[in-house]
Amino acid sequence: MPVAVGHVCAACAASVGARGVGLTLARGRGRDEPVCSVGPGTDELEEMQFTLGEGPAADAAARRSPVLVADLAGPESGHRWPMFARAAARHGVRAMISVPLRAGAIEVGVLSAYLTERGVLSDDRVADVLVYADAAMLLVLSAADGIATGQRTSTGNGFDERRAEVHQAAGMISVQLGVGVEEALVRLRAHAYAQDRRLVDVARDVVERRLRFSRDATVDTNSDIPSPGKEEDR
Amino acid sequence: MTVSDQRAREAFVALSSTLVDDFDIIDFLDRLVDCCVEVLGVTAAGLLLVDHRGTLNMVAASTEQAMIAELFQLQNHEGPCLDAYHGGEAVLCADLAGASDRWPNFVRAAAGAGFAAVHALPMRLRGTVIGGLNLFSARQGALDPATVEVGQALANVATVAILRQRSARHGDVVVEELQAALDSRILVEQAKGVLAERLNTTVEKSFDLLRRYAHASSVPLAELAAAVVDGSADVALIAATDVRPA
Repeated sequence: MPVAVGHVCAACAASVGARGVGLTLARGRGRDEPVCSVGPGTDELEEMQFTLGEGPAADAAARRSPVLVADLAGPESGHRWPMFARAAARHGVRAMISVPLRAGAIEVGVLSAYLTERGVLSDDRVADVLVYADAAMLLVLSAADGIATGQRTSTGNGFDERRAEVHQAAGMISVQLGVGVEEALVRLRAHAYAQDRRLVDVARDVVERRLRFSRDATVDTNSDIPSPGKEEDR
Repeated sequence: MTVSDQRAREAFVALSSTLVDDFDIIDFLDRLVDCCVEVLGVTAAGLLLVDHRGTLNMVAASTEQAMIAELFQLQNHEGPCLDAYHGGEAVLCADLAGASDRWPNFVRAAAGAGFAAVHALPMRLRGTVIGGLNLFSARQGALDPATVEVGQALANVATVAILRQRSARHGDVVVEELQAALDSRILVEQAKGVLAERLNTTVEKSFDLLRRYAHASSVPLAELAAAVVDGSADVALIAATDVRPA
């Protein structure tokens, strides 16, 4: 896993004032893998949740939704996660924010912030963790296709990964290549990156059938429009 | 422009009847914006939701035109919906041509898409605004107050529907509901792409097929979308809804 994901975890911890932050990647059924943790005891707490299938991070993965726990020492948490709640108490962790890294059918993993004080989790804190989860997800997708991270951080046009066209295109490419939508999104992003074009523009070309992906790793286009190689002339 | 009481009544009855039990949020919001077009007499309508980045995301639109999507996207920089979001009040612009100083890029794009007037109604939840309803008209002119009232009521219904997705387990925290609605939209978009490619058709057409099949078979749209994406849905069966009357 690239160093950059570690930076995201560290930055997240500093930003929300968390004792620790951990990222566990979904590697398919029962093969979740903690890939990054900062802060004392975080690796143990991450590992334990996915081994036992118990805890806010495990629930966030299973429910595909953020899990916010204001008091891990409370009776509700103790009942819901008996083993994990005890372990958290041992490490002085009193509250948690766990956020799945996902987009539709794509499920990359879970980012969790471990907090030492219990109490109401402010909207700002939760929003910060969500933003770091977005960043972590993009880094993981980029790493999957060897896109150098940090070179293309912002397009100034919002978050392309939320655009409808991008996900429509990923769906189409998944059929063209016979792969899942996650891999399709990785390939779409890699193509945009290689052509130095905006993701949403490339996605629109796919949706409007000016651009096709084919299984032998090249990209075909319809005969009446320029090939990707010629696009550089524009 | 005025809204007919009869049509408004029918629309609310139809909408509220789908707002029970296991309703699908994306399907519901899409019906709601279609209903806006029909009842309020506007040319196009769309719903935007604010995510944790403060970005306005389109979650439903009465038309699939790329231009509409672009008009929504532009409003992350300028435009009536952004103003309605920040101000928490309706922004009514009866003549877009006169608003080029206020929103130069938005006005140009809207004119290019054939719109002359726009109304943005905030989706309010207690003290905060979670998004907005955008109403576009091809002709200039203000919607009358009664029509704006019905439009605001529809925006409120959308807010309630989004928050009703999950029971109020977490009190004031709406992040789960917003995330769920945004994510549901993404799943449906992925399914539209998969189906379009499988059936060699457009994404607009495949969305139509998905909705029709979901209604006909009483499967929630998001569930059907997930099955299409993971390959477990019978694509031939979905395609066959085409030949049956809607």
